[in-house]
Amino acid sequence: MPAWSRGPEGTVPGVVPVELLVARTDTYAVLVGGLLVYPTGFDFDLAVRRRPGRPREYRDHHERSWDDHLRLEVRFADGRAADNDFRRWPRTSGDQAPDPPLLYQSTVGDDGGHVWLWGLPPPGPLTFACQWPARQIPPSQAELDAGLILEAAERARTLWPGEAPP
Amino acid sequence: MSASQPPELPEEPSEVEHGRPAWVEPPADVVPGVVPVELVLARTPQRAIGLTGIRAYPTGFGCTIHLRLREVVPGEQSNFGAFNMFGDGVDPAGEFADYFLRFGVGFADGRKATNLDHRRDLDEVRAPDPPTLRLVRWEGYDLLSWEVDVWVWGLPPPGPLALVCEWPARGIPESRVELDAGLVLEAAARAMPIWPDQIPP
Repeated sequence: MPAWSRGPEGTVPGVVPVELLVARTDTYAVLVGGLLVYPTGFDFDLAVRRRPGRPREYRDHHERSWDDHLRLEVRFADGRAADNDFRRWPRTSGDQAPDPPLLYQSTVGDDGGHVWLWGLPPPGPLTFACQWPARQIPPSQAELDAGLILEAAERARTLWPGEAPP
Repeated sequence: MSASQPPELPEEPSEVEHGRPAWVEPPADVVPGVVPVELVLARTPQRAIGLTGIRAYPTGFGCTIHLRLREVVPGEQSNFGAFNMFGDGVDPAGEFADYFLRFGVGFADGRKATNLDHRRDLDEVRAPDPPTLRLVRWEGYDLLSWEVDVWVWGLPPPGPLALVCEWPARGIPESRVELDAGLVLEAAARAMPIWPDQIPP
């Protein structure tokens, strides 16, 4: 797999001990957590929680438009941003790395999904913004100090440094 | 012309979600407290098992296990996916026992939960005794790198909390790391309800 599509295999990531409540309505909450940081980017869980006792909305997945999905955007302090609109995924070959940041949501569902963000943020505020019109979740956001990400990247550990494979 | 409008159909009643039993997955209405552990549980020249990010709730805790293979060995059944197979008619104490990656947690009072435990049906009427351990997410695209999230229902008592793995067929002897369970208990105390005005069921 190309280097930009996930964290390096031979590395155990550093942890950012933060769970962000990005959005909350009477029925839904959107959390960003489980931030695991590699020298090339970071992974996180995008969790949509439904308040217990509230009805589940069933929709036919085939009839969904993009508006029916939870939209997520991650913004760096320098103005660069990436979002989970798969229509904007680059059509690069595996060898040609796209410009960071690039956001790839590997699993998509009513409960959220798992996200890989290629590229580390510069120091300053790192913003997670989401909205889900179909679920009446208005544009909402939460910020994290990007310094926590950068410190965790420093703690990521290479498992087999400098050794030739046996 | 209003006469051409179809009559309005009554809305179908929507299903009320009662939530799964507490031992099955973390509670939906709580933001967990986090213990920033970054551990390498075991490492051989070919494989490594890491564990990161304990997320603690009032009813238990979760973490991510990182399964790493340095390079694909031709002809070797290296699939970490074996981790997921318990309960699918496979006897973990049987003929192929050594081929399974084993993972578990041990509490200071002697109780433990492992992926060798009997798998339970979600609709089992009687809740099992804590602790229990369940896989709640796994993700990987090749043999080299897998992430597995586990949920341990039941908080440990104060004292050492052991995180243990073993994989006999792949040269990983029983390997354990002990944490102060107080870190997990403090994080669980930091967990916050998402809807504080909610009336508990």
